[in-house]
Amino acid sequence: MISRRDLFPVAAAGMLAGYAGFKGGTAGRSARLGNASVAILKAASYSEDLVSRMLQGIRELKLNPRGLKVLLKPNLVEFDPHTCINTDVAVVAAAYEVFKTLGASEVIIGEGPGHRRDTCALAEMARYRGEIEQFDARFVDLNRDDVSPVIGFADRPEMYFPTTALRADLIVSLAKMKTHHWAGATLAMKNFFGLVPGNVYGWPKNELHHIGIDRSIFELSRVFHHSFAIIDGIVGMEGNGPIQGSPKPAGVLVMGSDLPAVDATCCRIMGIDPGRLEYLRLASDRLGVTEEARIEQRGETIRSVRTNFNLIQPFENYRLA
Amino acid sequence: MGDSYLDARLHALRRTQNPDGGWPYFAGKQSWLEPTVYAALALHGEPAADRAWKLLQSWQTRSGAFRPAADVQMESWGTALCITLAVARGEFGDPFERGVEWLLKTEGEDSNLLTRAASAVGLFKPDRNPRYHGWPWKPGTSSWVEPTAHALVALKLASAKRQDRDVTGRIRLGQAELLDLRASDGGWNYGNRTVWGVDLPSYPETTALALIGLQASGVKDVLDAARKIGIERVSPLARAWLAIALRLYGVATPAPTAPPTPDLMLTALEALGCANYRYFKTGGEA
Repeated sequence: MISRRDLFPVAAAGMLAGYAGFKGGTAGRSARLGNASVAILKAASYSEDLVSRMLQGIRELKLNPRGLKVLLKPNLVEFDPHTCINTDVAVVAAAYEVFKTLGASEVIIGEGPGHRRDTCALAEMARYRGEIEQFDARFVDLNRDDVSPVIGFADRPEMYFPTTALRADLIVSLAKMKTHHWAGATLAMKNFFGLVPGNVYGWPKNELHHIGIDRSIFELSRVFHHSFAIIDGIVGMEGNGPIQGSPKPAGVLVMGSDLPAVDATCCRIMGIDPGRLEYLRLASDRLGVTEEARIEQRGETIRSVRTNFNLIQPFENYRLA
Repeated sequence: MGDSYLDARLHALRRTQNPDGGWPYFAGKQSWLEPTVYAALALHGEPAADRAWKLLQSWQTRSGAFRPAADVQMESWGTALCITLAVARGEFGDPFERGVEWLLKTEGEDSNLLTRAASAVGLFKPDRNPRYHGWPWKPGTSSWVEPTAHALVALKLASAKRQDRDVTGRIRLGQAELLDLRASDGGWNYGNRTVWGVDLPSYPETTALALIGLQASGVKDVLDAARKIGIERVSPLARAWLAIALRLYGVATPAPTAPPTPDLMLTALEALGCANYRYFKTGGEA
């Protein structure tokens, strides 16, 4: 979490430079992508059979993880017993079982929280260590993993990332459906902030804020494009997210391989206009699809599950008509 | 704290040192500056610590900063830790001098000229005073509690050798920054008091680090925030830093008994809490 003071120099630099030097990743805006598929599955509570729900979604989306090294990336940020900051342990445990069942050669759970250094303690408080069998053997603290450079990240000549993430064939963003007090919403793509190593960039990963939050979200999804998303919207967070908001039951899992399409769909479920989110504008047609007409909805319709998330004042005009 | 508790940790550190002389965060991984400095302080006086210092010196860049790891081409906040280690070892040569110079010229972007000027003419109202100068995790970013606390320890220790106005002035501005970042509950988190006007809570580990950085600052109530944290109820990392901080202030802490974990940085900090915490001692109590 950063404050306005941190954003000032970034904003000032952004105003001066604009996006003049921004190349927009590997896919040019002119190269329009095809359509995308996103699955919306109802799940009223964490005690439902989430494994079956996920298997249903993966079947409909024709994802085949057999033989792949899979990294499950939950959203494990802080712990507050009075709200629901993190991806629920039931979702993480179910995803682990699903990808093992589908024949992944390796399934690792990895996260690099942005504020707290004792990742294992966070995992303990979020019940990951207690309820996911052999959690310690399956978990990598991405803040303290070995790292390797990736050439070219926004205007930086190189950026370091955990080797566990770079070696994964498929990264599954197990994000939480939340509002976000800087980006508007934090979903599959923003969740990749946890792939940036604290042992290089610190706590918080302030380098990303200085690059620009929206641009960093875009760049992370560009680098880690072999990805899939399962969004925990069973109970999301509204208001002053991603940490100090209030629980908001939405009763859904949202899944897909096209992360901008997944995030745009989640926004519509939350009653947020995805076209107002800068990172989705950057990603649209470069990394994926965000137009509703080009997203084939599997499972439930958006209309049948839409539930408006409360928005804090700076984002009130993001409300979807 | 029992000898067996300390011995188990020192033994774990001795057998996990990498062939290059450094320590990884977890056995079998690449060496990193941070666990290497803490392990070298814990094993001070042993040949293993000498090998670590030799490795760390090879990571110093032309600017005077140290890299966080051999292959990470970046100037790092860990330079402060290397100064602290150099002082513990009595190494006051060129690596020490250049490291101190780098610390003196490094500051968070939130106190740079552009921000100060914009604030002065009323273009925006910063959440913290831009006249104060803390330290960032890496140059080009904002200052935060942990790197600021470590830089203060390093410069205070270095001031025994370098009693010039640059050092004392920077310590004063760094302490002011740390106090300015204090949360409304009296402790410290990573470095933001509020977001959108909502107070943020403090963390035990960063409160302990702030306490260490503010030794001898003359601020009377900094110990209160750490005292009211239940050391037995916090995470292992927070417990390790709190043990070091409280013992530096002469406060006894409960004797721990848990076996070492695979986390080698934590192992080194737990060992430091037993004995060599004095290498973070920068002066009288606050």
